[in-house]
This record gives sequence, structure tokens and C-alpha cells, in this order.
Amino acid sequence: MSNLNATTEKRALLEAVNMALHRAMQEDENVVVLGEDVGINGGVFRATLGLRDRFGFKRVIDTPLAETMIGGLAVGMAAQGLKPVVEIQFLGFIYAAMEHLVSHASRIRCRTRGRLTCPLVLRSPMGAGIRAPEHHSESTEALFAHVPGLRVVIPSSPARAYGLLLAAIDDPDPVIFLEPTRLYRMNPQPIIDDGKRLPLDSCFTLREGSDITLVSWGASIHETLQAATRLEGQGVSAEVIDVASIKPLDLDTLEASVRKTGRCVIVHEAPRSCGVGAEIAASLYERVLLDLQAPIQRVTAPDIPPPLYRLEQLYIPSPEDILAACDLVLNYA
Amino acid sequence: MKYFKLPDLGEGLQEAEIVQWHVKVGDNVKADQLLVSVETAKALVDIPAPHDGVVAKTFGKEGDILHVGEPLLGYEGEDADAGTVVGRLEGGGNAQADSFFVGAAPSTREHLAPRATPAVRQLARQMGVELAALAGSGPDGLVTRADVEQAAQSARDSFGGERLRGVRRSMAINMARSHAEVVPVTIFGDADLHRWPEARDPLIRLGKAISAACEVEPILNSWFDGRALSIRQHDKLDLGIAVDTPDGLFVPVLRNVGGRSAEDLKEGMSRLRADVKARSIPPQEMMGATITLSNFGTLFGRYANPVVVPPQVAIIGAGGIRDEVVAWQGKVEIHPVLPLSLTFDHRAVTGGEAARFLKALVQALEQP
Repeated sequence: MSNLNATTEKRALLEAVNMALHRAMQEDENVVVLGEDVGINGGVFRATLGLRDRFGFKRVIDTPLAETMIGGLAVGMAAQGLKPVVEIQFLGFIYAAMEHLVSHASRIRCRTRGRLTCPLVLRSPMGAGIRAPEHHSESTEALFAHVPGLRVVIPSSPARAYGLLLAAIDDPDPVIFLEPTRLYRMNPQPIIDDGKRLPLDSCFTLREGSDITLVSWGASIHETLQAATRLEGQGVSAEVIDVASIKPLDLDTLEASVRKTGRCVIVHEAPRSCGVGAEIAASLYERVLLDLQAPIQRVTAPDIPPPLYRLEQLYIPSPEDILAACDLVLNYA
Repeated sequence: MKYFKLPDLGEGLQEAEIVQWHVKVGDNVKADQLLVSVETAKALVDIPAPHDGVVAKTFGKEGDILHVGEPLLGYEGEDADAGTVVGRLEGGGNAQADSFFVGAAPSTREHLAPRATPAVRQLARQMGVELAALAGSGPDGLVTRADVEQAAQSARDSFGGERLRGVRRSMAINMARSHAEVVPVTIFGDADLHRWPEARDPLIRLGKAISAACEVEPILNSWFDGRALSIRQHDKLDLGIAVDTPDGLFVPVLRNVGGRSAEDLKEGMSRLRADVKARSIPPQEMMGATITLSNFGTLFGRYANPVVVPPQVAIIGAGGIRDEVVAWQGKVEIHPVLPLSLTFDHRAVTGGEAARFLKALVQALEQP
């Protein structure tokens, strides 16, 4: 991590986040980072490594273990002109900060008729698969997506983490930026630290195909791409779309793809009921019912808290689960 | 950088003051080499290097107080800084390079599938209209019923020609339907008519002979339902007789051929012919045939494989009577010969049944 501006070195998602934070703080002195262990320690996963040394303790703030305070502090900073980037150490710790996110961050713009905005970014690792105990493994993107005024963004590759985090920090409204913990160190990619932003309101098509559309985001992209590769071996051309922006949804891209393929499977690691998959399926039915060759299927975690790690692999949707749903959709009629 | 953290010094001590550093940044240290001396509340402790490496950073100056678990020294190198992680992160992976399109793929953008309600799709199937070729006039390019009808109309217009009507139209539809459904097999045979006083106009004799053949193989005088796979034999022979007219093919039905006299049949037949010619024949007179006879030989031709019209299972074609050289009782003679074709639906009738039927038909015709 010594040479953060190297352009050709392969970097994993975690390092891409670190790289984007360094650049954002360098570009704009109003960007501040706060959270538990983000300063001296560099964050429990090292996402904020080197920031305090480079930008000082006034801009990289170690907070007490008090998420309510972290949330309130960030809202106040954001409303008064700073651009706080908050780290909640694990997504399961965020509930104490919900009051500030739901009652203030999301609606300050409306409450003050545009006089104040709340340009905060709340980063947090999400998801299971790292053999962590309870409260460290949840995927609660749907909770935030339901709140008007919050953007929810989930990157699934180093490049998208870099480009989307920079765009999230630019954005004048609050962004919940959820980083799939399971992907933090996986599959490093060459990234160029060029400061280029990616759009916050767009899906990303990871794989072009014509027979079936696989829709996913976050860590499940990993299993979804594996399923797509195996489908290719069976002569099925699967299109894989990374939703990335959970709120607002880029429904135009999803609609166009499903109209092309006529078949759709949605994969997410969050529990099924009232998950974002349900929202996507409902929206697609509104738009593309007459183009569908089969009912849309969802592959999700069951409606239970993430189990302890011996059962974790049963909880996370597997490539086999995805292939079973594809099989149903492909052979429906 | 790989961190070495202030280890637990025992006895529940949580902090220590740095007394003296024995190494500096850039030093190459060996395992167990003395790194730093610290003082706890109880003692002066020397802390050795946990392993070999190059010192990248030392944390804290002499006199600073460090807590257990805080970084003490950093080695050069990337690995092993997994942080104070709860859980375990998988690293590496050699998946494919991450390449993606922002938004939709090019093929998605190009794809312009027709949008239509199920009812309109059904209509398009019925009318043989390809939806993909249409530009929908409805909202967002929705293909409407009117679009499909218009496309069907313009397809007809572009072919030109004259629309079939009436009998010709029914012929086109019924023949195609029969062809699609029936499994036809045709066998041929000749009747030697030298015993007849006058070998011409065989229609009534043919009717009577078919009736006689039905006594031998009644299964040919049946209706067959291919969907229900059921067969229904008839007691009486109601013979459909194909009549050629300038307007097209008519098939009036001569009822109960077996139970009526030749004179009666002849009279009935000429009445049917006259009605067909005058186009005054009621539709029910053309319904309910149990076997059909096509007497095309009065025009021209010898053999044929005429089309069985369901639910019937057989049709007989009678060719033109002609004088032929035949071997007769060891001598060469010239006899009038009637060529016959029997087409049957092999779903309902066996080859043996058909052959016996045709043999009985020929035998009946060869009587004086």
C-alpha cells in the first residue's frame, strides 16, 4: 500500500476504496473521514490506511464506539459544508445511527426547502462469507433503499468501487455506500488512479448475452458470474447485470435487457422478503410482462439472520442455486 | 507494511512506556534480535523481533506510552496486514478481468423486440404475420390489432391475384387440412369389363360394386376421429360422388347405395347432377358421405391418389375405360379395362383390409 498512485498495479476492492479516499481528500479539503478506528488503526479492514498520516487528525477522526454520535456528527458536518465520509465498522452496527440517517440526513433538503443539503457518504462493509460472528454479516440494503432521500450504492469490483465512491463523495445528497466484505481482497484488478467517476444512477453490464438476464449486485455478483460461465458451457448465453445503484434503480437498462432475453433471474444475498429483488421483479413486471417467456425468479438468502460460519455457505446463494433457477426459467415454456 | 503490535506483557498490564529503541528504519533485523526496551508498571522488558525483516517504521518515541495491541513496529512488505479483522477475508482469485459496460450492452441497445399483447400475438400467428417486421403504432411502439390486420392485408395486396371464394376456397382449406392429418396409402387394380354388354358410364355399377366390397370389408365404410382415436362403422353406404364444375369441385351424396335399385340410383344421381349444375343443391345433400368416389376417368386419366377427406377413411378413383390387350384363357384378346385406385387412411385401415376390399370391388365389377 505504499505507492498509492501507481497506475498499473493490481488492486483489490479494499485498496480501490483506499485509493479513492486518498484522492477525494486530496482533491477537496472539505472531505473528512470519521469512524471507529479509521485514523491511527487505518480501519479494521485497512480501508482508511494512511489517511491520518497524510491528511492529519483533524480530517481523519477516530470516534468513540458510538454510532448514534457518529451519525449525528456527520449530519451536522454535512449540513454545514463539510463532506464527511463515515465508516460504520460493520453494517450490523448501524442501527443506532438510523435515527440520524432516516430522520435527518435523508430529509434535510426537503425540510429546509433546499437551503441545506447533506452531502455525506456512509461507508460500511456488508455481507456474509468471512466467517465472522453475528451482526457482522448482514445485507440490509433494502432498509436504506426504502428511505426516500438516501442513495444506496454497492460496488462489486475494484474499478467500480473506485469510480462509484468518488461519485458518491461528489454527490450533494447522502449516499449509503456498502462494500461487500467478501470481495474486499478477492480478484485484484489493474486500476488507474485517474479520478474518473462512474455514474451513480446506472447499472453495469458485466457480460453480454442473449438468452437470459442475470441481475445481481454486491458479493453475489461473484457467484452469478460463475453461474453465467457454466451456462455458457451448456450453450446458454447469459447477460449479467450489476445493479450497483440500488437506489435509485436504473430500470431502463434492466428493462431493455429483459426485453431482449425474455428471461430473468435476480440474485441477492439479502433475505428474500421485501428485498430489493422484489422491487426489481415488480418493476419489470410492470414494464416487460408481455416480453417475458417465463416468470422472473429470485435466488436469495432465506428469511433468517445470517448463521454462524459453519452454515454460512448454505445461507449465501450458490452458483448451483442460481443454475437451478435458470433451469426453471429457461425450460419454462 | 506488516505490523508488529505491542504484545501482551502479562500480569494484566495494558500499557508500556518506550525506554529505548535498539533498531531504526531501514535496519535488517533477525528473529529474536532485540527491538525495543519498554517499561511497564512492574518491570523493564526487552521486546525481541518476532521474525526476520526490514524495519519500515517504528511507532512512538522514547518516553511515549503505547497500549497493548497498538502497532509497535512495521516491517516492509505487503502481506499479512489483514487488519484487526473480525472474520477472515479470502484473497486473490484469478477470475476474468473486470470489464463492463456502463448501462446496457450494445446488443441490448440494438434490440428492438416487438411489443404486443397476448391477444395480438395470437392474431398475428393466425394471420401468418411476423411481428418482428412490424413497426407498432401504439404507445411506445406497441403493436396493435390494427397493425397486424393491416400487415396481413398488405401481404395479400403485394401478392396480388384473385381471392378464392366459395367452393374453391373450401377446397383449398379442406385439402390442406386433409393432407396435414391423413396418412394416405394408395393401391391400384384393374377390372376387366368384357362381360358387360356395353362398357361405358360405369357410375352406378361402381356404386353397387363398392357397396358389395363394403360387405366384405366394412371397416372401409367408417368414420375415424384422429384426435379421440375412435372409429365408427356404418351399416349403409352413403357415397360421395365428386362432380366437376366450372366453379370447382362438388361432392353430392348418393344415399343408401346398397339398398336401392340401379334405376332409382340413376335417377337420384341425375337429379343431384342437375342441382349441382344449377347451383341449387342444398348443403345437407353434400354432407355425411361414408366413402367418396372420384370418377375422373370420364374426363381423362388412369390412376390417381385422390385425397381422403376425414372423417372418411377411403376414396376410390375410377380412371377411363380403355381397350387393352389382355391375356385371356391362354390367348391374347382385347378387353375393355377399368383402372381403379383405392386410397385409404392407414391410421384406421390396414393394407390387408384395403387389398381385400379392392379385390371384392374388382370381382363385383367383373360380373356380367
